[in-house]
This record gives sequence, structure tokens and C-alpha cells, in this order.
Amino acid sequence: MSDVAPSQPLRIDPESKGDNMPASELNSNKGLSKKKSNSAPLRIVDTSVMSVNGLFKSYGKGAVQVPVLKGVDLEIEEGGFTAIIGQSGSGKSTLLHLLGTLDAPDSGEIYFRDQRIDNLPPRQQEYLRNREFGLIFQFYHLLPELTTLENVLIPRMVQDGFFRYLKNKRSYRKRAIELLEMVGLSHRLTHKPSQLSGGEMQRTAIARSLISDPSILLADEPTGNLDSENGAEVMETLTALRKHENLTVVMVTHDDQLASQADRVINLVNGVVAS
Amino acid sequence: MYKLLLSWRYLKTRFIALASIVSVTLGVATLIVVNSVMAGFVDQMKNRLHGILSDVEISTQMFSEIPHPERHVEIIKQTLGDQIQEATCVVRTPALLSFDVRGRQWTQQIMLLGIDDETFGKVTDFEPYLTNEIKRKSFSFDLEEDGYDQEKFKGDAGWKYRRTRIEIQRRIEANSREYDSLYDNAANAFYAAEPSRVETVSHESENIQEEQGGRFAPLPATLPDIPPVGKSPEEGIADQPTPLATADDQAESQTSVDGTIHRISPFDPHAKFRPEIKSEDLFDPMKDHRTGIILGLAISERKVELPSGELQDAYLIRPGDDANIMLTTIGDSPQPVIENCTVVDFYSSNMHEYDSSFAFLPLSELQQLRGMIDPMTGQGSVSTIQIKLKEGADLDAVRDQLIAQFPPNYFPDYDIRTWQDTQRPLLSAVKMELTILNILLFLIIAVAGFGILATFYMIVVEKTKDIGILKALGAPSRGVMSIFLGYGMSLGTVGTGVGIVIGLLFVKYINEIADAVAVLTGQEVFDPTIYYFSEIPTVVNPVTIFWVAVGAIAIAVLASVLPALRAAKLHPVEALRYE
Repeated sequence: MSDVAPSQPLRIDPESKGDNMPASELNSNKGLSKKKSNSAPLRIVDTSVMSVNGLFKSYGKGAVQVPVLKGVDLEIEEGGFTAIIGQSGSGKSTLLHLLGTLDAPDSGEIYFRDQRIDNLPPRQQEYLRNREFGLIFQFYHLLPELTTLENVLIPRMVQDGFFRYLKNKRSYRKRAIELLEMVGLSHRLTHKPSQLSGGEMQRTAIARSLISDPSILLADEPTGNLDSENGAEVMETLTALRKHENLTVVMVTHDDQLASQADRVINLVNGVVAS
Repeated sequence: MYKLLLSWRYLKTRFIALASIVSVTLGVATLIVVNSVMAGFVDQMKNRLHGILSDVEISTQMFSEIPHPERHVEIIKQTLGDQIQEATCVVRTPALLSFDVRGRQWTQQIMLLGIDDETFGKVTDFEPYLTNEIKRKSFSFDLEEDGYDQEKFKGDAGWKYRRTRIEIQRRIEANSREYDSLYDNAANAFYAAEPSRVETVSHESENIQEEQGGRFAPLPATLPDIPPVGKSPEEGIADQPTPLATADDQAESQTSVDGTIHRISPFDPHAKFRPEIKSEDLFDPMKDHRTGIILGLAISERKVELPSGELQDAYLIRPGDDANIMLTTIGDSPQPVIENCTVVDFYSSNMHEYDSSFAFLPLSELQQLRGMIDPMTGQGSVSTIQIKLKEGADLDAVRDQLIAQFPPNYFPDYDIRTWQDTQRPLLSAVKMELTILNILLFLIIAVAGFGILATFYMIVVEKTKDIGILKALGAPSRGVMSIFLGYGMSLGTVGTGVGIVIGLLFVKYINEIADAVAVLTGQEVFDPTIYYFSEIPTVVNPVTIFWVAVGAIAIAVLASVLPALRAAKLHPVEALRYE
């Protein structure tokens, strides 16, 4: 919900927020707080995989410009688990979208492995999104016409041409099934998203984000739309996978409890990094 | 890969999109049916027209003549060399045909063709269209004993029919004669019994008695062989096509034992000066027939629909019946000529225009009748020379050669043209009709295209989030676009494919379908009495189907371009935010 706010300032008012905020989301905080923190042991990493310099972004057109990010600088460490927290409308989702090259900043630079990526041609940005970044969304964003397995394979299908995909199909399938096993969905391979629960859908989305062996996982409130139990499961899965695959994770959340599991917490307040 | 997969899944899950291409299917099916039927129609018509009309003809106005046709044919053969296969001379003239239909007179206008029975069949498809199978094999203008279409005439055609009919006619006449004599006897007996009345009557009938040969004069009880009133015996025996004298009468009129006939007539003062005629020289309608004439079938045939719905054939005149033709001689003072003919066969090309007006006579006979034979040389003139060319000859080139040979400034009265020239108005009308129908039907498919556009636009709006996901996962805009283009194309292909199958099936069973519709609605769909053909002709042209398919698929793809472009232009973040 929070990522709706920046582009449509009219919807920030409390009523609409109340409308859109599901009860489960509110409950999830309580549920999670009962669980004991399951944070991984800290790994000291001094190389930064991503860095951001003076990022500005505003939404709207003409006179009604709503500034969302007002000069954000940050570094993301290789292999680390970074949480970006902030209130709704603080610009955390926008920041994540900019990191994932889904959107372009008004000014400022984003570097990925010392290469500026915010002004790359679309072709290369698409390559990055496909191969280097694994994206997880609050609303899972699975394709409803495809089965779980096919949804997981989609990034590979996008990546390869027709014949190359057919050639590699076997290994891709093997990896997809392996990932689905890891997230505990090996029995749900041929189900459509509509037949899955929210947690299962999100776990499918996690498997999908990992199919291309990305170097960084960008998660936008992955538990935001789940009840506490499912949310905790998803978080567990994520944490376990992070360890198993040695992933760099950037997670946006407005839940302090979740953020506490992270190696590093970046607090975004009114479009700038607070801490 | 994902493009194919998603196109396929969208195709499988979105039946509303399939509904939107039903109009494509129908349009394609209709196009195929219309094109096939029209092509079949044109094809059949061309075949027939060509067959009847011959390749090239030199003609003059029907009341004029081309003199020395043999010399013309010679020159034509020289001019055309190898290209010519055969040439024939024809006399064409409008005429009146009249005959008896159950005692009532039937008169109609016909186009009379005098044809050379040896060459005409080689130049045009004449013989295959005859109804008598013997004539189809070896043509002549004689009435046949057998070979008439059993199904059509049920045996009432040919010599047997003629003999039966004449026999019946004679019996009727004998009966009426008998009745007349009985009446006269009774009358005479009555007057004999009451002489006082006779006196008053006889005074009045004196004049009548003189005129009518004493019919009411008191005569002996048995009446001698006095022929009916107003008919002289010569007419009755020799000239009338349907003899009025019965066999008995003939026997009576033969006074002799030596087999000669003395023309006995109490009213002919010159009877004894007339030559004697042998009995076998007399025209006996039981054994002889008049000049053979072949009539277009539609002149005689009437298809009558019975209340029960079945069609029944009725005939105004049958092979074996006699008919009169009335025509004029040519020259500066045309004279009317009447000739008695016997129908020997029907001509059925199934081209109503021809079947309802054509009649064929032997060329020499018609030349004679119209005074087209030069009394000095004995050579007949003609009105048309028809030419058949060898296969592959260029019609227009031949026509131009002939025009060069008979230049219009020397032969302004000659009209040289190919069969296509003759039927150009008809052929071009059909062609234009087909073009307009094709345009209209493609417009239908174009309308269907707009339906697809609207449906696809809705699908793109519905799939905005999916498009955002695909883009977020690194799918290029081009890829997203091609999902929808591929979707449009596969829909178009499915629609077109189904349309082609339906269309071809419809064409294959079109006559059965027409019958079924006729049964269901009680309204005849294809009335063979109106059209040229007994059933709906079809020709399936693969090239037409190919282009129809290409056109329909192209329209479907074009209709999906706009939605696809919209999909491609979607910004991933905006699309993902879309709920």
C-alpha cells in the first residue's frame, strides 16, 4: 500500500489508507513479534555491491510535483541483509524500484558493481533485471495463467530465445523444482496461483526471483500482504535461502520487527536517509 | 518462449476473445462460399456460352446476308492458317413459332438458326446438348423411333408417340363424323316424317343448299362420302399436316383397285386433268414427318410445382408434334413465309436465354425458305460464319487478323467478334458483382477487426499487471508487444482456419444445404427454373482461399497492433501499481 502513496498524493489521506490496508497486515506485526528473532550471524563484508549517490525523485506532472526522494545516499554490502524502513510515503518503495532499474531517478547516480546503471539503455537494464536482480513484490505478482512451475521459469524464458530455451529446458526445470522444494512447494508444481494461499504465492515468487541466480535480491514488503503466520514462514524461507545461496538481500518494510533481523537497517524519513 | 506460452494461455483462457473472432470466421466462410459459388457460376456460364457461341464469328445483320460463304471460309482458312480448326455457316433469323396446345393456339417468337448438320457440331457444343441420345451420337434432322429422354417424356416422344397421337386424332374425327352423319340421318328422317315443316325450312335453305352441296336436301337414308363442310378433299388428304380424313375415308376416296388415287371431288371441275398420284407418294403422317426442327427445351418445357411441393414437367409440344414457323424472306421486299415442321428433338444447354428462344432447322431448308439461294449459281448465302480455333489460339489476335482481312471500310456490315466480346456485358457484370461482394465481405472482416481491437484493448488493460511483471523480470517491450501480436495472429489464424473449414464444407454440401433450407423454410433457395443450372455450381480456387486467409489474418494482426503498442509502452512501475 505504501508504494501507492508517492505517485498519487491524493490517496495518502487516512481513509483511503484504512480502506486499502488489510487487517491481516496489521495483525502480522503482533504475530511476528511473538516469534523469536531468527537473524543470521553477521558477516563482515567490506565490498559494496550497490551504491547510491544523491538520488532525487519526484512524481507528478507540471505544477503538482511531489518530491519523494530528496537526496539519498547509501551503500549496500555484498552478502548483507539490508532493510529499508520508513513510514508510508517515505519513498522506500520508490527507492527500491530505482535500485531495480524499474524507474529512472530525476537526478543522482546508482552504481552496481561500480557501473552506473540508472542511465543504461533499456536493453542492458532489462538484462540486469533479468539476470542480476531478483525482485519480490508485496502482491507476489505471479502470472495467473501459468502454473507455479511455469511462473518460476518465466525469467529463464524471457532470457533465452525459443530454441535456446528448449535446449536448456531440462536444467532450468531441474533448478526450478529444486528451488520450489527449497521453499516447500514441490507438491504444488502444476497449480495455478489462484489455487495457492498468499504465503505459497509469495514463496513461489521467491523461487522465481532466484531462478536466474541473481546477485542481489530486492524485496518490496514481501510479508506486507500476508498474515503473521504466512509472513513468518516467508521470512523464514527467505532467511534460509539467503544463507543457502549466499545472497545479498535488500528488503523494504515498514515493520521494525522484521527489520531487526537485518544486518543493517536504513531508515528513510521524508525522502532522506535518517540514520 | 514466454511469448508463445502466454499467447497460448491467453488463447486458451479467454473465450471472449474467441467470440470476437467468430465474425472473422463467418466472414472468411462467407467469402469462400461466395467466391466458390460465383466462380462456379462464371465457370459454368463461360463453358456454356463458349460452347454455344463458338470462338470467333463473322456475322451480319439478320435480315442481310453474307454472299458466297464458301469463298469466305476459304479466305478465312487461308488467313488463319493452322489456328483454325473448323468453320461453319449459319443462317440466323427471328421467326414466329406456332403450334396447337390442346386445341389452343400457341405462338411465340424464336431465334431460328439454319445449321449445317455436318460442321455445326464441330464448331460449337451443339450435339451434347440434345436430349435424344441417338442424335447426340449421330446427328440428323430426322425424327427418331427411340432414344428420347425416358425420364423427361415418359415415352411420349418420337415416332411411336406421333403414330399414337395421329391415331387418336383420327379416331376422334371419325367419331365426330359418325356423330354428324347420325345427326343428319336423324334430321332427314325427322323432316321426312313431317314434310310440312320441311317445306317451310327448305324454302329458307335453298340458298344454303346451293352453297353447301345440298346438305339438308332430303337424301337417302345412307349418306355418301361427303367431306365436312368447308374442306375440300385435296386439302384433307394431301396438304394438311394433321390429316382430317380417317383411314376409312381414304379407302373410300380410292375408287380404284390398281392402287392409284383418283382425286374425286364433285366440286373440282378440273379433276380429270390432274395427274394421278401414287398412294406411296402421299404424305402419310404415320410414316412421314415434315422438315425437322429442333427447339430449345424451355420453349416447350414448363416446370410446374404441385401443391405437394414436387416439381412436375409439362410440355407444350413434344418430339413428334408438328409446328408452324413463320418468317420473312430477305431482300428489298420481304415476304412472309410459313413452313410446317415436325419437332424432332429438344436442345437443352441449360442456358435459359438460349433454351427459351433457339430453334434449329437444316441450313439448306432455311436458305430456301428465306430466298437466300442464288437462282443462277444455286449457292446459298448465310448470315453468320462461325469459327472454331485450335487450342491455345489467341482469340483477340485472331479477331484482329480477321478484321484486317475484312476491313470495316469495305465490309462495314460485317461484325467480327469473339464469344467473349458477345457476352462481355454479362461477364463483366458478374465480375463486377464478385468484386463488390468481395469488398463488402472484407469490410465485414474489417469490422470484425475492430471487434478484435476492442477486445484486445480490454485484455491489455486487464493484463496491465502481468505486463508490468514481465517487464520487471526483464522482458523487453518488443517481447511484450509480440505476445499480443502473436495472440492476435493466433486468434486470426484459428478464426480463419475454422472459417475455411466451414466455408469448404458449406461449398461441398451446398446443394444439400439449399435443399435442407428449402425443406425447413418452405422457400426454395435455388430455383433451377430461374437460374441457368440445375444445381448450384461451385469451383474452389486455392489462390482465392490463400488470399482470403492472408487478408483475414492480416486484419487480425493489424487490429492487435494498437493494443500491443499500448502494452509495450506501459511503464513497469505504473503497471505493477495497477490493481
